[in-house]
Amino acid sequence: MRFFQQIFPALALAGLIMILAACAQMKAIPGLPASHPEALTVGQQVSCAECHEDNQNGTLKAFDAFSHSPAFVKNHRFYASSDERLCSSCHKSSFCNDCHTNQVEMKPSIKYGNRPDRDMPHRGNFMTLHKIEGKLDPASCYRCHGRANNERCITCHR
Amino acid sequence: MKIPIKELLPAFLFLTLPVTAHAVETSVDSTTLVRIEQRDVTGGSKQTYAPATQFLGLDMDKLADGNLSLHLYGWGRYDLADKSFNNDRAAGALTYGYLQYRFKNANADVRAGRFFVHEGIVNEQLDGLSVRSDLPLGFGVSAFGGATVHTKHLAGESSDGKGDSLFGGRANYRYKGMFELGLSGVYEGKAPALLTYKNANHRLLGGDIWLSPCRMIELMGHSSYNPDTKRVAEHSYLLNLKPVAHLTLAGEFNEHREGSYFNSSALFTKMPGFNPAEKSRSIGANASYEISKTVDVSADYKHYTRDIGNADRYGADVKLSLLNNMFRSGVGYHYLRAGQGFAITGTTSASYHELRCYALYDTNSFFTSFDVIDYLFTKRVKNEKSAWEASASVGYHITPNLAVSGDFSYGQNPDYIDETKGLIRLTYNMTYKNKGEK
Repeated sequence: MRFFQQIFPALALAGLIMILAACAQMKAIPGLPASHPEALTVGQQVSCAECHEDNQNGTLKAFDAFSHSPAFVKNHRFYASSDERLCSSCHKSSFCNDCHTNQVEMKPSIKYGNRPDRDMPHRGNFMTLHKIEGKLDPASCYRCHGRANNERCITCHR
Repeated sequence: MKIPIKELLPAFLFLTLPVTAHAVETSVDSTTLVRIEQRDVTGGSKQTYAPATQFLGLDMDKLADGNLSLHLYGWGRYDLADKSFNNDRAAGALTYGYLQYRFKNANADVRAGRFFVHEGIVNEQLDGLSVRSDLPLGFGVSAFGGATVHTKHLAGESSDGKGDSLFGGRANYRYKGMFELGLSGVYEGKAPALLTYKNANHRLLGGDIWLSPCRMIELMGHSSYNPDTKRVAEHSYLLNLKPVAHLTLAGEFNEHREGSYFNSSALFTKMPGFNPAEKSRSIGANASYEISKTVDVSADYKHYTRDIGNADRYGADVKLSLLNNMFRSGVGYHYLRAGQGFAITGTTSASYHELRCYALYDTNSFFTSFDVIDYLFTKRVKNEKSAWEASASVGYHITPNLAVSGDFSYGQNPDYIDETKGLIRLTYNMTYKNKGEK
């Protein structure tokens, strides 16, 4: 703990110096556009490789890595943690916050009951299932409900 | 419904917008839902709920010099019948509300207000300020700081167990789109003392990696360390292999030390079975293949290891898309083999089969769908063999942006003899012209 407190000011100072250095050379570093230039089909598993063939720019990762295959959708947390800026060129923040938020009003599968094709957590009678799934893999609950989004949890877990 | 003034402060940022704004692009997203739910509780009385909920989002781009934008999103609810789940008939939340200034180069931006941060091991919501930029030579940096966004108080307590301030950031290095290394950390102010819950400070340090020596191989993941407990909190890694086009083979490894990963969640430290000395682990594999533009198949397996026992889950899904994506359908089957340690009180096994089937047909005018999901228990739960729910939805696109729809669902499960739900939905989604319809 003390170690963390000691290194934090040093890390913050190093970050500030790096930002100032970057400001001087920012015009030479490419940036992603704010929005995808073309509309994408709603409800389709987007394949970035259809248009972006190994179109790496600077240190950008290959676009093919972000094609929305079933495997990508299942593991999207790994991509979002380091490339949120790329996600935001096609998705508004609210797209993520239907599931990942501090206070959720209803299960996303209810809000989007007219979209059964979308991967949504807790479909069906999850009230019964959570008594099994919570013991099986509590870390998967913790990612959304650990320190947030827990108003319904404390109704029973007190 | 009490909403402290500080909860609304990010929204007041709107008032600070430059009055010289021109050529502003505005997008409004609205979803209005009126639900009617009736539950016949096992051994109890009938309950009727009719909550009306409004979700509202506003995005204004190209403010001031064209690089400034405003983003707001939140919801409010009012119960028209019985209180839906707590003591408040009305509730609401500002999910986010921030001003963002995007620089044209280096993916640099500054955000101020209420927003979410996803950087490396950091996943936080705060009222404050964040900055982010790519740097020369492949480096990058981000930092954030501000006030914690608090949630409802824990039962019998005068706080939610979180500290009041939050700081952190991430530094990363990328090399030619082949690998990325990141270091990140989060530091929350001192956690308040609680009367009946255990509590701890929320402070983590971690590293993340993305490695792709060739386009067939992709390794990514992160590890985090809790400086308070002086122990590793989490390892989570994913390996993707793409040996041929449209085929992805994935393997994942996850390990959590509960005493270090969960300790800053007072709620979780009170959950049944919480053991701070435990190290839980899951190892899984997944294969997905796009047979054609219209058919996707996937199969998955996962093994769970905990002190209370081991478990396995395996299954497969098939997804179909026809008529230029207007018709979408899917079927899935999974089986969980889990012993008594994971079982619901009163039963001897937690094993169950999961069956799901859905279809959707969406035209320029009307849209309709159905969805059936059934959990079949190998040992009865509260004398019930299964928990199932069937739902149907029908709607009409009044304009390309405006739609009205209605859902109906019915189910039976161990908690409710009958569960009947109805819903009316009005959605208005405005998109920018010539943009990604985000």
